[in-house]
Amino acid sequence: MIELKHASKKYQQGGREVHALRDVSLNIRKGEFLSVMGPSGSGKSTLLNLIGGLDQPTSGEIFIDGRPLHGISDDELTLIRRRRVGFIFQFFNLLPILSAVENVSLPILLEGTPFSEIRPKAVALLEQMGLGERVEHRPEQLSGGEMQRVAICRALISNPAVLLADEPTGNLDSHTSEEIFLLLKSLNEQGQTIVMVTHDPKAAAYGTRIITLKDGALSEDISIGGK
Amino acid sequence: MSVKYAMLGILAEKDLHGYELKSSFDEKVGEFWSLNYGQIYSTLDRLEKEDLVTHDRQVQDKRPDRKIYSITKKGRKELDEWLAAPINRVRALRDEFFIKLVFTGTDNPGPVLDLIEKQKALYLRQMNHLTHQKIALKKKAKDPAALTTELLMDAGLFHAEADIKWLTLCEAKIKATLVKK
Ligand SMILES: Nc1ncnc2c1ncn2[C@@H]1O[C@H](COP(=O)(O)OP(=O)(O)O)[C@@H](O)[C@H]1O
Ligand SMILES: [Mg+2]
Repeated sequence: MIELKHASKKYQQGGREVHALRDVSLNIRKGEFLSVMGPSGSGKSTLLNLIGGLDQPTSGEIFIDGRPLHGISDDELTLIRRRRVGFIFQFFNLLPILSAVENVSLPILLEGTPFSEIRPKAVALLEQMGLGERVEHRPEQLSGGEMQRVAICRALISNPAVLLADEPTGNLDSHTSEEIFLLLKSLNEQGQTIVMVTHDPKAAAYGTRIITLKDGALSEDISIGGK
Repeated sequence: MSVKYAMLGILAEKDLHGYELKSSFDEKVGEFWSLNYGQIYSTLDRLEKEDLVTHDRQVQDKRPDRKIYSITKKGRKELDEWLAAPINRVRALRDEFFIKLVFTGTDNPGPVLDLIEKQKALYLRQMNHLTHQKIALKKKAKDPAALTTELLMDAGLFHAEADIKWLTLCEAKIKATLVKK
């Protein structure tokens, strides 16, 4: 479903070249919950950003559902980003002036669809995540776990082919983190493909497959998981 | 059982008689085990029966002969295999792994770093299984005893995580000393 072929990424950092990803070849299957482990600086976020089309590889190729992410126009890339992938981040990245339901609707609002049309689906998602009572709350009125659940709803609003999570519980306590992982797990059991990057082994353990990055290269691939 | 391997590790460096063996044992791993002479000699007997260790007699004036113990080829092979193998039991890590570190030595860090990587992968795999067992348990059980089981599983996960973090630190520190050299 997502295929990386010899993907490498180099950054220029103060005249120095940083090899953030080295020749990563990887096949992510539909329905998989892939955990990407690795210490800080090992290239996890870079990998996720390439898969999500937020960034381009220096060399190598990436395909989503057989369609290349390279050699296409910026508009096409933007469309893939909006429709095919949903992102969640460590710091939730919610807009503080918008309510929960507005935050969730935002990706589709940006495409020009009227709010009245999106709202029912956004509310339904929020209810599904146990946030039925929080629909009109702004981020500052929510707990960390609630903010992340709003962010998950926002990522899911466009029915993305893959949900990409970058250290989604890096900022949450153990119990709240577990609730988020169980939620991701149940989404995965309903068929949602998920790629989660993390330096936390307890988080990675929720995956159906775990790969490890080391200095930008793929070093270990554990595929067992409970189904 | 690591006492056996600690003794093999000591004899792999140098042939020794029982008394010297105990001193060396105390010096290297005394913080983990205190052994008396009886245990040292009974372990040596067992190692001899398994052909992992052999001895020579040293004749002494006016005193009974001394036995000088040395490791056999078979013993060396068994030691090397043990050193290279990650540990399966979750809680035994600290002690047993430390003994492996002592005898693998960090002068030539290749094998140690390999071992650390294998050990980390094994722990991660165990955490992966345990997590999925926990999820399955949470789904079906509503009986009150299930919470205790879940909390025990959590404890297992936290311990394994701590061990992985510790191994990652070992890795980083061993690599850092390499760079300095
Ligand atoms: N935009 C950027 N410009 C320059 N260097 C970067 C940039 N993004 C990441 N890097 C570098 O690439 C390496 C990998 O970073 P990253 O993918 O963020 O790792 P991780 O998410 O595993 O912590 C690091 O050395 C980092 O400093
Ligand atoms: Mg990162």
